[in-house]
Amino acid sequence: MDLRKLKTLIDLVAESGIAELEITEGDDKVRIVKSSGTPQTSHVSHVYAAPTATTQTAVPAQIAVAAASPTEALAPMPEGKIVKSPMVGTFYRSSSPGAEPFASLGSTVAEGQTLCVIEAMKLMNEIPSEFAGVVKEILVENGEPVEFGQPLFVLA
Amino acid sequence: MALFEKVLIANRGEIALRIQRACRELGIKTVVVHSEADTDAKYVKLADESVCIGPAPSPKSYLNQSALISAALITGCEAIHPGYGFLSENAYFAEICAQYGITFIGPSPDAIRLMGDKIEGRNTMRAAGVPIVPGSDGELQSLEEAVELANSMGYPILLKPAGGGGGRGMRVANDEAELNRYYLTAKSEAEAAFGNGALLLEKYLPKVRHVEIQVLADSHGHSIHLGERDCSSQRRHQKIVEEAPSPAVSPELRARMGEAALKGVRAINYVNAGTMEFLLDPDGNFYFIEMNTRIQVEHPVTELVTGIDLVRWQLRIASGEHLTVQQSDVQIRGHAIECRVNAEDPERDFMPSVGEIQYYLPPGGPGVRVDSHLYPGYMVPGNYDSLLAKMLVWAPNREEAIARMKRALTETVIHGVKTTIPFQLVLLDDDVFVDGEMSTRYVAEIMSKWMASKA
Repeated sequence: MDLRKLKTLIDLVAESGIAELEITEGDDKVRIVKSSGTPQTSHVSHVYAAPTATTQTAVPAQIAVAAASPTEALAPMPEGKIVKSPMVGTFYRSSSPGAEPFASLGSTVAEGQTLCVIEAMKLMNEIPSEFAGVVKEILVENGEPVEFGQPLFVLA
Repeated sequence: MALFEKVLIANRGEIALRIQRACRELGIKTVVVHSEADTDAKYVKLADESVCIGPAPSPKSYLNQSALISAALITGCEAIHPGYGFLSENAYFAEICAQYGITFIGPSPDAIRLMGDKIEGRNTMRAAGVPIVPGSDGELQSLEEAVELANSMGYPILLKPAGGGGGRGMRVANDEAELNRYYLTAKSEAEAAFGNGALLLEKYLPKVRHVEIQVLADSHGHSIHLGERDCSSQRRHQKIVEEAPSPAVSPELRARMGEAALKGVRAINYVNAGTMEFLLDPDGNFYFIEMNTRIQVEHPVTELVTGIDLVRWQLRIASGEHLTVQQSDVQIRGHAIECRVNAEDPERDFMPSVGEIQYYLPPGGPGVRVDSHLYPGYMVPGNYDSLLAKMLVWAPNREEAIARMKRALTETVIHGVKTTIPFQLVLLDDDVFVDGEMSTRYVAEIMSKWMASKA
């Protein structure tokens, strides 16, 4: 298996929802596992061995793909303090449409400060931050349904 | 009347899987809720969508009404199936669902409320002409009233919490002295357990079978009964083995009990699946004790002998369809037995056993049905009931069904936790069971014999 093909495979895994990809081609076998946000390769046999006349046969590649679960976030926990949803409902960045969001990227928030609103059964619930810090990532979109324990914000 | 497009399954474990299967076969999309303890369960991943509704403790998750409604709203579910236990007999929850335009798959809030109150339930059934266990007209007003009634009815008597269920909090008094001793403790226990200290007094029938009648009713006034299940094999009022038909019920008695059950169903305009529980004495007299306004754990026993899919009908009835099965279509064929395999250690007084299922190999072959959410690697959580699997068999007659169940249980491998299987095998071998002579207290006797033999 040549380097170009390997790089293509790595890019394929990185860009897709695939969690794990294993390809067997003749004597060569490559397994690419996505973890910590970037794919990592492990080669089971000598991937970089130069093809020899005796071993190179036109064996069709057998691909085993472990598809990502459709109901879970594939990416593992980002680094930092994570604020998770304490309830089931619909996530909103601000108290009403058109109003200023409670927190944006780069905002400094104090412990107990409202970060967002989660609406459940027509009731708006202000969600306070358990931590003080700077908003590094906002993991959900305005108006998106959220479940209990779903990561919402990452604070540094 | 169109079937629902999407249903929220507000339960867990084997019944959540059971409901999913019925939905899938009807082309209904499934949303399964789960607590954090059940996030990795395979049946959760099998659903079309899942929503985490809270941490492990039930009050914050499976009993969390607003989380459940919210989950249904954000996923666009038209209906909620509550399964059994949890909120399935909670009239308030059924009302909340209605307020939010979500169909609660079950009867009306009024029917649930009526049958949930043991006093009201008794009175309603008595008025409908259904025989009830002789006892107090309603809540006992005083110890004096209890003593007078007990003396005229004859001992032994049973003190029963009006707001309770599932056989909990009950006390037997064999004479006036015991009644005097137990009355106040029973009241405060009931208050503590159910928030309601009201007590009923009933005649205690010592040698009875627990025989229940399965009913189905649609929202167009048509109702049928699907025969009986004998659930006399109980340990501390918890069923461990159930079967149909009952060895003590002739076709004639079945017809009479079925008709009594339907009288009750019609009196309260009951809709959907339900079960009327009766006590059957050795002379063939039967007495109503309570009604379960939901699908029951042991429903597959009836499905096996009638060929009628009860959960499927629950979904169809709730969406407004006519129940197209006529009473004359209901035939009881062959014999079915169910063993509830719980994660409990029978040698240590059924102490709950938690842990990881390291190896799981379910039984198979002719006439075997397994309803279970188990898989190798499953972590049995400590927060919920201990049911691991329902092992069921069907055979042309009772003798063959017993042999088949023993065969199936012996093939079953569940490694990682203790299970009730060793005790169930002992039960299936016992002369009393084999002769079909079970009554509600005989399991305790078999248990003592077995423990004594191991000492």
